[in-house]
Amino acid sequence: MKSFEDIKSDFPIFKREVNGKPLTYLDSGATSQKPQIVLDKMNEIYTVSNANVHRGTYVLSAETTHAYEGVRNKCKDFINAYESDEIIFAKGSTEGFNFLANSISKKFMEPGDEILVTEIEHHANIIPWQMVAQENDLEVKYIKVNEDFTLNLDDLSEKLNSKTKVVSIVGESNLSGLLPDINEITTMVREKSDSLLIIDGAQLVPHRKIDVQALGIDFLVFSGHKMLGPTGIGVVWGRKELLEKMDPVYGGGDMIEEVYYDKATWAPVPHKFEAGTPPYVEAIGLGSAIDYLTELDMENVQNHSDELREYGKTIFDDIDKVNVIHSSAEKAGCTFGMYVDNVHATDLSLMLDTHGVAVRSGHHCVQPFHRKLGIDATIRATAYIYNDKNDLDVFKNALIESIKMLS
Amino acid sequence: MSIEEKVENYKKTLELFPNDQEKYQYLIEQAKESSEFPKELRQDSFKVHGCQSQVWLVPEQKEEKLHFLSDSDALISKGLVTLIASIYSDETAEEIASSEIDLMEEFDLGVILSPARRNGAYSMLKTIKEYAKNLIN
Repeated sequence: MKSFEDIKSDFPIFKREVNGKPLTYLDSGATSQKPQIVLDKMNEIYTVSNANVHRGTYVLSAETTHAYEGVRNKCKDFINAYESDEIIFAKGSTEGFNFLANSISKKFMEPGDEILVTEIEHHANIIPWQMVAQENDLEVKYIKVNEDFTLNLDDLSEKLNSKTKVVSIVGESNLSGLLPDINEITTMVREKSDSLLIIDGAQLVPHRKIDVQALGIDFLVFSGHKMLGPTGIGVVWGRKELLEKMDPVYGGGDMIEEVYYDKATWAPVPHKFEAGTPPYVEAIGLGSAIDYLTELDMENVQNHSDELREYGKTIFDDIDKVNVIHSSAEKAGCTFGMYVDNVHATDLSLMLDTHGVAVRSGHHCVQPFHRKLGIDATIRATAYIYNDKNDLDVFKNALIESIKMLS
Repeated sequence: MSIEEKVENYKKTLELFPNDQEKYQYLIEQAKESSEFPKELRQDSFKVHGCQSQVWLVPEQKEEKLHFLSDSDALISKGLVTLIASIYSDETAEEIASSEIDLMEEFDLGVILSPARRNGAYSMLKTIKEYAKNLIN
């Protein structure tokens, strides 16, 4: 594997300083930084071969179309999908969930049916379900979280029934780093219902090796920008036999087979779900990000995350007044949600910024979970492949100093 | 002192600090020295929407002039809202509503006064102006 120094030097942003200090970027849970090869690839497309995909019968269009469609194959290999047609491009995870909620509720659900999500979901995996539930008389139910921040699987088991048509669960919590046991959940869902099973991979896919076939799930959603790719591109993976039954949510160019004044027929999967000019340059950028991660090997990426998480646990747990939202589970993502007694998270993140440390503060799009914990806001530090133990040390020292100033 | 003069004074003070950290420290001091805010006024109806922390602004009318009580559960926000409240306090509703001074432009306060319209300081200003406008109407 590349040395850590080599990895960090692949990311041009780390050459800059913030407030006169070297940048300590610990907000990859919100978005990741981009390696030079992703930036170069996107620049190359615009500079050398830009043309709309699927449209032109000329060299430029053929080149971009080939590159764009090639990314489907890279995504397929990256998550071990059955075939590349199962890869649908979306703007990101949020659009992915909106698409799934709308299409699934129309095709596979009837009034009175139930959707199960957990209490720690990101808003992107709550709101679209709430919206279609209201429209179609469905019910959204929440699987409880235990006091140690693990999922209450007994509660899941109790809530599963013949009316459950969707179970949609976070693959890696964006606040506690919790990694629910997807295999156990799959077994339970299959035993007790005929529900579809969706995994929110927004935080999971960037950090861990994923095999959708081995997991036995039905859909996986993830975002390009959290895994070294550009913004504006994400992926919905679904089993082909399900995608073939589902109807498109967006209509327009490129998603049709035949159009008449009074009707239209759809293109085959996956194109029927991709109306209009797709963000092909972003998709190709995501392809380069996948190349980069594949070269590092996701096993190594995962090990790096685990190592940093272990280290973080040892250094953050003994800081006075600091409460870290850990799950008791042995393995978790390298995400440290924390709150400090009598110090506001916003104050802390502003102070940390003066040390060049970038962390998120607020509710991180998991408001209901914060409400359940009885806290308004937390700060959250998330690490990725370009972070090392030194970053966590810098953060820790800046945190101690900031707390001193704010107490 | 007019709104403009108060802004000018604060601007000069803020310019004395060489970096964001010292400016934040100044705001923290402002927060700690500010007059006490009655806890029972921490009501939803006085909450300023659009702030990352919780911020409350309560208008009081004293004869012809408006006075603003303010509070926040975050120290730096409290310092900022104290400063903004003091700029617009003891002025008439007309003076407040007609003031066109752009605090975001005038004050260099690091990331907390970024020129985005969706920031907390903008919401505080909007709330004060709305109080003044409602009073005129």
